[in-house]
Amino acid sequence: MSGLGPLWQIANREIGQRARSKAYLITTGLTILIVLALIALPTIFGSETEESTVGSVGVGNEQIVQTAVGLGNANDDPGVPPSVAIEVVEFEDRERATAALEAGEVDAVLIEGEEVVVQSTSGFDGSSIANQLQRAAGAVQIQMVIAEQGQQAEDIIELLTSDPLELTTLSEGDPAESESRTIIAYFGLLLLYMAVLLYGTWILTGVTEEKSNRVVEVLLSTVRPWQILGGKILGIGTLAIVQLLGTIAVAVVALRVTGAFDLPPIELPAVLNLLLWFVIGFLIYAVLFGAAGSLVSRTEEANTIAMPMSMAAVAGFFVSIVTLDDPDGPVAVISTFIPVTAPFVVPVRTALQAIPVWQYGLALLICVASIVGLTLVGGRIYAGGLLRFGGRVGVREAWQSANE
Amino acid sequence: MLSVQDLHKSFGDIRALRGCSFDVGRGHMLGFLGPNGAGKTTAMRTVFRLIGPDSGTVTWDGKPIEPDDLLRFGYMPEQRGLYPKMRAMDQLAYLGRLHGLSKTSARDSAQSWLERFDLGERAEDPVESLSHGNQQRVQLAAALVHDPELLVLDEPFSGLDPIAVETMSDVLREQAKSGKAVVFSSHQLDLIEDLCEEVAIINAGEIVVNGNVETLKDRAPIRHLELEVEGDPSTLVDALEGVLSTKLNGERLTAVISADTDVRGFIAHAQEAGKVRHFAYTTPSLSDLFREAVR
Repeated sequence: MSGLGPLWQIANREIGQRARSKAYLITTGLTILIVLALIALPTIFGSETEESTVGSVGVGNEQIVQTAVGLGNANDDPGVPPSVAIEVVEFEDRERATAALEAGEVDAVLIEGEEVVVQSTSGFDGSSIANQLQRAAGAVQIQMVIAEQGQQAEDIIELLTSDPLELTTLSEGDPAESESRTIIAYFGLLLLYMAVLLYGTWILTGVTEEKSNRVVEVLLSTVRPWQILGGKILGIGTLAIVQLLGTIAVAVVALRVTGAFDLPPIELPAVLNLLLWFVIGFLIYAVLFGAAGSLVSRTEEANTIAMPMSMAAVAGFFVSIVTLDDPDGPVAVISTFIPVTAPFVVPVRTALQAIPVWQYGLALLICVASIVGLTLVGGRIYAGGLLRFGGRVGVREAWQSANE
Repeated sequence: MLSVQDLHKSFGDIRALRGCSFDVGRGHMLGFLGPNGAGKTTAMRTVFRLIGPDSGTVTWDGKPIEPDDLLRFGYMPEQRGLYPKMRAMDQLAYLGRLHGLSKTSARDSAQSWLERFDLGERAEDPVESLSHGNQQRVQLAAALVHDPELLVLDEPFSGLDPIAVETMSDVLREQAKSGKAVVFSSHQLDLIEDLCEEVAIINAGEIVVNGNVETLKDRAPIRHLELEVEGDPSTLVDALEGVLSTKLNGERLTAVISADTDVRGFIAHAQEAGKVRHFAYTTPSLSDLFREAVR
C-alpha cells in the first residue's frame, strides 16, 4: 500500500470524530453568529432616524432647528428615512425648559437663538444634538450675512453641504477594487489568525492526547510518524477550511440580503491568493504545533509548549496591521521573508499592490521550503518525542532518539 | 518465521539489550520471560521498528522487516492504548483499515472479535465506559482484527481475572494452531508452562535460556525428589548421592538432587525402610529454571 492510504484513514478519523464534537459545532456556530452580528448591527442601527427633541425658549430658535435638519439630511439618498428629525417643544421660560431637560423630556434646550443647554457633554447622547445645533447656528449666521447680499437660504445650505471630494489613488487600478482587495485580505488574515490559534491548538492537544493515552504506540506499530502527523494536519485542516468557507458563504449571503455594504466586486485572483496563503500559513503553524505536541506527555503541559507559536502568530498579526499603514516599510519587507509572519503580511501587501514580484516569489519559495523542511525536522522530532513518555522531552533529545 | 539476532541497544548509559536473539516459527508460541527491566519491551518494540537497534537484525521469513510487513503483524503494547471517547466498534474498524482492510471486512472482523469476547452489545459504547478487563479485551481484539501472521503481545495477561485469562489463553492457542507465530511476555510462569512449548528467558538484555520447555527441563542439571514413608525419612537421605538441598516437612522429604544421580538403588533402599506412601522424581519447574537463569 502506498504511504497515502493510512494518511487518508487518519485524516478521515480526525474529521469523523471532531466534526461530531461539541467543540467544533460550537466554534462554527459562534463564528457564524459573530459574522452575522457584525453585518447586521450597522444595518439595524444605521437605518434608523436619529430623533431628538429640542426645547425652545424665546425667539430665533426655529431657523437654527430647520437648518440643523437640513444639514443633517443633506446627503441622504432619496427614498430612505431621513437621518435626522428634530421635534421642537415650546417653553415659557428657562426654568421650565431646564426642568424638562432634567426630566429627560427634551434632549437640549435652545434659548433665544443664542444659548444651548444640555445635560452634560461627557456622554454620547446630548452632545450629538448640541453639535448639530452649533453647526446649524454657525450656518445661520453665515446665511444672514450672505442674505444681506441677496442670496437664497436654500442655496447656502447646498453650498455648505457640497458633494464630497472625488478620491483618486496613485496606485494603478480602480480605487474601489483595491479597497475591496484590502478588505478581503484583512478579513482573510483575521480568519488565518483565528484558525492558527484554534486549530493549531487542536493539533497540539490531539498529538499530546494520543501520547498521553498511549494509543500512539499502537498506531506507530503500523503507521509511519509522518503519516500520523500528516493525516492529523490534513484532517483538522479540512475542518478549518470547511469552517472558513462556510463562514465566508454565510457572510456573502448575509451581505446580499441586508445590503449593509455595497459588496465590493470580488476578484477571483484575490480570493485564490488569499486561500493560497491561508493554506501555507496553516501548514507552517500546524507542523510546528504538531512537533511541539509530541514533546509533552500531558495535556496540561501543552499550553506551555504552545507559547512560542502563539506569540509568533500574534506577532504576525500585528506586523500585518503595521503593513496596512506602511506596506513598503522595512517591517513589511523583513517580515515578508520570515516564514511565520509571511502568511500574514504577503496577502496584505499583495492587496495593496505594494509587493514587487521578486519579493512575492521569494516569500513563496521560503515558505514552501520551510514547510518541507519543518515537516522533515518536525516529523523527526515528532517520531522521537512520541515514545518518550513521562515529563517533557527536549528537542535535541527527541531528535537524537528518532531512529530514522 | 520471526528471527531476532544479536540485538544491542543502549539508551545513554543504560544497556537495554546486550545480545538478544530468539526465533518464533509460524504455528509456534514463544513465552518471553525475564525480570522487570530485563529488556523485554525494548526487544518487542524493535520488531515493530519503534526502536532502532544499535546492532543486530530482526527478520521475517528471512528478510529485514519493511513497513509493509508491519501491516501483517499484530501488537499489544504493555501500556494499553485506545482512544477513550471512540466507540469500540469504530476503534477496531479504524485499526483494521490502518492495516489495509477494506471498509466492510474491517467492520465484519471487528464485529466478530467483539462477539467472540462477549462485547457484541457494547460495540457502540465508547471504550472509556468499559471496565478495565473489557478494555483489555478490546485491546487484544485490536491486535487481532486484521488477522495478522505474527502476534507480539507485551504482558497480555496482566490485570486479568481468571475467566479472562482463560479466554485469552484459548485465543492464543487457536492463533498458534492456525499457523500464526505468537510471542508474548508474562510473569505468570505457570501460565507460560501451560501454554508454550518454547520459552526464551532474558536477563539484563541477554537471552540466557532459550528452547523447548521440556527439553530445557530434561537438560537441567537438577531433579526434584519427593518421598514420604512411614517412619522417619531423614535418615534415608544419607543413602543418596549428589544431594544439593533437602527440606523436611513432617513426614515428607523434598530434595534437589543432581540430574545424574541414579535413584533406582535409593527406591529399593526406601522400600526396605518402611511403606512408601508417596514418591516423585521430576524435572524442575519453569519457575526453577527461571530462578536459576536470572540469578
